This record gives sequence, C-alpha cells and structure tokens, in this order.
Amino acid sequence: MTDWSVEGLESDLDRFHLGPVDLALAAGRVTAVVGPSGAGKTTLLRTLAGFVPAQRGRILRGGDDLTVVAPERRRLGYVPQGLGLFAHRTVERNVSYPYEMRGRLDWKPRTRELLDRFGLTALADRRPARLSGGEMQRVALARALAADPELVLWDEPWQALDVEARHALGLVFEELRADGGIPLVVVTHDPGLAFSVADAFLELQRGAVRRVSEPATLLADPKDSFTARFVGFENVFAPAELAGAPAGSFGAWLARESGPDGVAFARPALSAGPGPWRGVVRSVHPTPEGMAIALDVDGRRVAARLPPPYPPVLPSLGETVPFDVPAESVRRLG
Amino acid sequence: MSRGRVRAPLMRRPHAGWPWLALQLVLAGSLLLLFLLPIYALFTYATPAEIWSAATSAYVGQSISFTLYASGFAVLAAVLFAIPLGYLLGRRAFRGRSVVESVVALPVAVPHLLVGLGLFLLVIPGTPLYRFTTEIGFPVYDTIWGVVLVMVFVSAPYTVLAADLSFRAVDPRVVEAARSLGAGPATAFLTVTFPLALRGIVAGLLLTWARAVSEIGGILILAYAVYPGGPYDGPVTSTVSVLVYDLFQAGNLKGAAAVSTVFLLIAFALFLAVRIGERSGWVPWRRGELLP
Repeated sequence: MTDWSVEGLESDLDRFHLGPVDLALAAGRVTAVVGPSGAGKTTLLRTLAGFVPAQRGRILRGGDDLTVVAPERRRLGYVPQGLGLFAHRTVERNVSYPYEMRGRLDWKPRTRELLDRFGLTALADRRPARLSGGEMQRVALARALAADPELVLWDEPWQALDVEARHALGLVFEELRADGGIPLVVVTHDPGLAFSVADAFLELQRGAVRRVSEPATLLADPKDSFTARFVGFENVFAPAELAGAPAGSFGAWLARESGPDGVAFARPALSAGPGPWRGVVRSVHPTPEGMAIALDVDGRRVAARLPPPYPPVLPSLGETVPFDVPAESVRRLG
Repeated sequence: MSRGRVRAPLMRRPHAGWPWLALQLVLAGSLLLLFLLPIYALFTYATPAEIWSAATSAYVGQSISFTLYASGFAVLAAVLFAIPLGYLLGRRAFRGRSVVESVVALPVAVPHLLVGLGLFLLVIPGTPLYRFTTEIGFPVYDTIWGVVLVMVFVSAPYTVLAADLSFRAVDPRVVEAARSLGAGPATAFLTVTFPLALRGIVAGLLLTWARAVSEIGGILILAYAVYPGGPYDGPVTSTVSVLVYDLFQAGNLKGAAAVSTVFLLIAFALFLAVRIGERSGWVPWRRGELLP
C-alpha cells in the first residue's frame, strides 16, 4: 500500500477558505479530522476527493501527483455524509457499482465476497431504504472497498447509529486496519469513537489547521475550548468568565491557572477531608465510573464526580460539599 | 359546579373531531364534483350508439390518431430539449437563472391565442423564418410541424419544471459518491442522477402530453387545418380539440360530445396504464422502490 501526503493544500468554496493543510497519511493509519461545525472538515475531504478544486498545494499518492486528477481516477473510497447509497439499486448492485464502472467481468464473485465479508449476503436484494442504519453503513463501506481504494475518506461514520451499530462499526475499523493497511481519514464529531480508532488527529478551525498530533497530545494539551471539551474535559472556563473573582476564591485560583484562551479540568473528585474548595450539589446521577455530580461554585457550574466505594450517605441536593482539583488535571488553553 | 361540566381530558380524544373531518370531506368533495360533473355530462349527452359511431368514423379516427401522433413529437421534443434545460436549472448555479426560470414559466401564463399569433407572425409567408423552415423541409403553417410547434411551446414548461425539481432533489453527495467510485460525469448522470430523477420527469412528461393534446388556442391560428407534409401524409385533418370546436360551432352538440368522450376514454386509459405500471413494478422508478 502506498503512503499519501498532502502538501500545502488550499481550496476555496464559496467564501470559505481551507488550508494550508499538510498531512502524511501512512498505510494502515487512521486520521481523524476534528473541529467545530463549519471548520472545513467536509471541505477538506471533498478537496482530497477532487470535488473542490485545489487552489494551491499538492496531493501525492506515492510519487503520483493527484492534485488535478479527476475524482473518478483517484482510487479513493469516498463515503460522503449520509453515506451516498444509491436508492434505486439493491445492496448487491450498490456494492458492485465500482466493479461495473471499471468494466470488470468478475464483478459477481467479487461482490459476493464483499457482501459475505460484511455480513450482507442475506440483504443482497434489498434496497437501501429498507436497511437499518448499521446495515447501510456496512453497505457504504463494502462499496467503497469494491473500488479497491488506496485511501478511504469517510465523513461522519458514526452519524445516526445506535450504540450496538457503533460498536459493530468500531470492530469493522479494527479489521480494516489489521488486514490491509489502507490509510483512512474520518471526519467525526464523536470523541469516544475517534479515540478508539484514530492514530492521529487533525484539528481544524475556521478552515485552518491548528495541529496534527497523536491522541495523547490532544489529552495533554487541548489548546482550545473545543478540543478540551472534545477530549472529555467537561469543565472549561473562558478568561472572561473568571475575571473579577474575589481573591482567595475558586474563581481566582482558576484565573491564575488559566491560559490566554481559558482553562479546562477533568471532573474533580469530591474530597473526604475539608478540601480546598466547596460547592453546592445541584444534581446527582449514576454512571459506570461513579456518581456524576453537578456543583454550583460561586455561581459557576462545575462537573464533579464521586468514585466508588460510596459513603453510606450520598450527597443530597443543596448540600455543600468539598472537592479538590489536582494540578495535573488542569489544562491551560491557548 | 356553577361553571358547568369538567372538560374531558385531551388524552381521551386521540383523533380530530368529526366536524373537522366533515369540513375536509365537504371541501375536497366539492372540487372533485366540479371535476367529475362536466365529464358526466359529456359521457351521457350522446348515446352509446352515437359514441360508437363517432369512434369508428373515419374522420374522427383520423383526427384522434393525428393528435396522438403530433403529441408524440411534442413529448419527444420535451425529452430532447426540456430535460436538459431542467437539468441546467436544477443543477447549475449561473447568473440570470431566475430570468430563465421566468421565461420558462411564460408559456403557461400567456393566453394561448397570443402564442399562436406570435408564432404565426414569425412564420407567415414572406418572413425569413418562413423561407428557412420551408427550405429545410419543416414548413410550419397548416402542417403537422405547426401543431407540434404550438404543442411544444405550451406544454414543454411542465417537463422543464418537473425535471428541474427532480434533479434538484437528487442529493449531490450521492452523485459525488458515484464519481469517486469510478464513474465519469456522463456515466454518473446516466447511472445515478437520471434514474433517481426519472419518476418526477415521467410525471412531468405525462403533464406535457396532457397539455399538448388539450391545446387549441395556438393551433386555431397556426394550423387550423393540417395538410399533408413532413412526417404526416394522411388526408387533410385537424387536432381533436379543433374538431370538437368545429362540431360545436356547427351546432352538432351530439357529435362534439361523442368525440370528446372517445378522446377522454383514450386519455384516461393512458393514465390508468401508467398507474397500473407503477403498481405492478415494471416502471424503472418502481423497481427502484423510491415510492414509500
């Protein structure tokens, strides 16, 4: 399998400018493109796929420059948002489409093989409209692989899937990575699944690349409030929210810890002792990791937790409880 | 309890009340009645024997088959020219699109006698278009081409509009998926965009056909009598609409009603055939199960 690289890629769509994007897509690696809505994630995929013309920069597959090559000649498995299944064709004829396009005479056995691999054989004669979300997802992926792609681009793979189907799709990704080494680029809003499959993250913001990094880097240094929330820091405060906090208060302490774009910290545990900070319990609900507790701290909402084993009496609503925010769980943003 | 009864809880009324339903039935039914009564009047004015004799008479048969023949050309023209225009409007953003859309709507809005007059002034003997159309073998005045021209003018907008909406309804992402799976632009159009839009386009073509065969205003002026020429080499005839008008003018109400009945039955049979086709699944869009 070939490595891909993207060098200084820029494109314009209506008034939106994307790039420059530099990216290495090594065989077998999954790159997750993340960022707020409107950051240009889909535009990046469509530029790579050739539907938005590149204004500058290059898209290289091994030594081949694909920057101005027509979409149908790029050897891509592009799965657009909404999957782009053909409503007028059966599952089988969806999956066989790329073979038909290349005039392959052996399309039947090859299609059957793919249907079999993705557990779609029993559904071969159905139309997409009669499939479940998870089944549609598998059809889209099988169809993309029928193109013998050298790169798979997938926009929002987990969109509108129930939990079981998400889990199943995660396993499919694992398998993909294990067997072929096709590089994969996924656009996603789903942090949990992104972390479960991605080897690298590309963070986009307003069309510009903020960073390309390993998953661990994102956790260690989220840089901005979007990424902080994305990777699971539930407490994020902008500098403006912290201004004017009275000396010695929790707010003043946070303001000291804050970077230019604010501060983020993971759910602090309620402390057994008096604790440096105190908050009023606003809600309590159980999660697999313990009790999730919402606190009101001088008018700021702080998400905290109470890990098991639980005390004989759980904190009640309105009760004032102590908590501690360990320094290592705090991230300066910006 | 001076304030009267306690109101029934909303939960006990899962359906709208009968007055609401009755209102809907009365309003919808009135319109249906308006559609049906004139047809009833037509069907019952002439006796079955008279209708049969009209159906089997040579000049009525000539007129009906000529009308179907000419309208076939009109539908063909809509396929050739209106679908591409609909595609342009539905799929491409360009300057002046709303102007083009208004131009397309024009033939629907203009009284059709004016259409006939406009075309007439364009192609009467002495005009450059007259010389040109005659030289290339498409004489228009009082020929089948005149009939087809008027028919296309008044009926093609329905196909343009239907194609526009149908192409617009095809998700561009589906087409992009096809492209990246190896289809060139033309192949993606033929294998994905067009099949997905087909159902709406056929509905538009049906409307085009219906509008074409019912046209009279423009035809009265441009091709009141149709002489043999071009692809038509039968005797002098006229469209059904003109024939019925003639019969009516001549005071032959029974004849007019009989011819109308015969033609209505043919049109009805055609629409029914398409519906049955949809149900039985031989039409391509039904095979695609785009219907719910």
